[in-house]
Amino acid sequence: MEPAVAADHLQTIRTLMERSALYRRALAPITTYAGTLGLAAAALGYALSLSRPALFVGYWFAAAALGLTGALLMVRRQAWQQAEPFWSPPTRRVAQAMLPALTAGFALGVTTIAWTELRSEAAAEWQPWVVLTCLPLAWVILYGCAIHAAGFYTTRGMRLFGFILILGGCAGLLASIPTKTRPLTPNGWIIMGFFFGVLHLAYGVYLYFTESKRTES
Amino acid sequence: MNPQSFLQLDRVIHEKGRLAIMSMLAASPELSFTELRGALEMTDGNLTTHIRTLQEAGYVSVTKSFQNRRPLTTCALTPAGRKAFNNYINLLEEIIRQNKR
Repeated sequence: MEPAVAADHLQTIRTLMERSALYRRALAPITTYAGTLGLAAAALGYALSLSRPALFVGYWFAAAALGLTGALLMVRRQAWQQAEPFWSPPTRRVAQAMLPALTAGFALGVTTIAWTELRSEAAAEWQPWVVLTCLPLAWVILYGCAIHAAGFYTTRGMRLFGFILILGGCAGLLASIPTKTRPLTPNGWIIMGFFFGVLHLAYGVYLYFTESKRTES
Repeated sequence: MNPQSFLQLDRVIHEKGRLAIMSMLAASPELSFTELRGALEMTDGNLTTHIRTLQEAGYVSVTKSFQNRRPLTTCALTPAGRKAFNNYINLLEEIIRQNKR
């Protein structure tokens, strides 16, 4: 065997091994669903003017639970249609990769509710900014971390999407620091609607086109 | 180049289709028949034949079960299969190394 052929063989083996470990299930439908849900939830919350911290956090926990349930049902449906196991090793790896950052986001939400319930003077002054600006942006950053971690077991675009969320969240945090000329402006619904709604929808549409192209080729 | 290296290459694994199956299974604890078929774009018959050859060589184990009342066939590398696959990779690397010297 020629060394060039051996190198070629090794490259093919490497590619196949990488492909085997990748999670490829229903990414476009899940992302589009998450985007639609995020946008609808933000619009509804804005219309209902849910400004109480516990309500805001609880509302988004409920939306996240709905999103997670829907996503799992989609994954299960696809696995069932293709006669594949639902809790396959790639699915397990993606879930394990996302879990730490998502748990941190949940803990942060619970901590914020506890903090606002103290009803101290300092808490009252900063409460709208912390709950309706900092917390949503922290969620965006942590969610971006989760997506980025999952990206090591999915298509490469996921990691970039995770990074966009992380950088967007960080930029939002920097831009929202209150100054003398810029007062505290709580805009949690807009933040959630943009990052969890608009960005997800855009990425979902992008995935629909790129995934179908990949399948055709 | 030492011709011995080439002669030592495992004939069962060296075939293109079987090498692809072994590579996929080496990176995952187990894969279903449909996952392998979809990823490697093989026909049912072709994949079945290759898996049977690998099974007869003791490199792959096949488990048949039911999921949601539908049959599910999963394949996994046996310890002997993993060892043979690692040996195959080492030999390929050896061939490349010999040429560099």
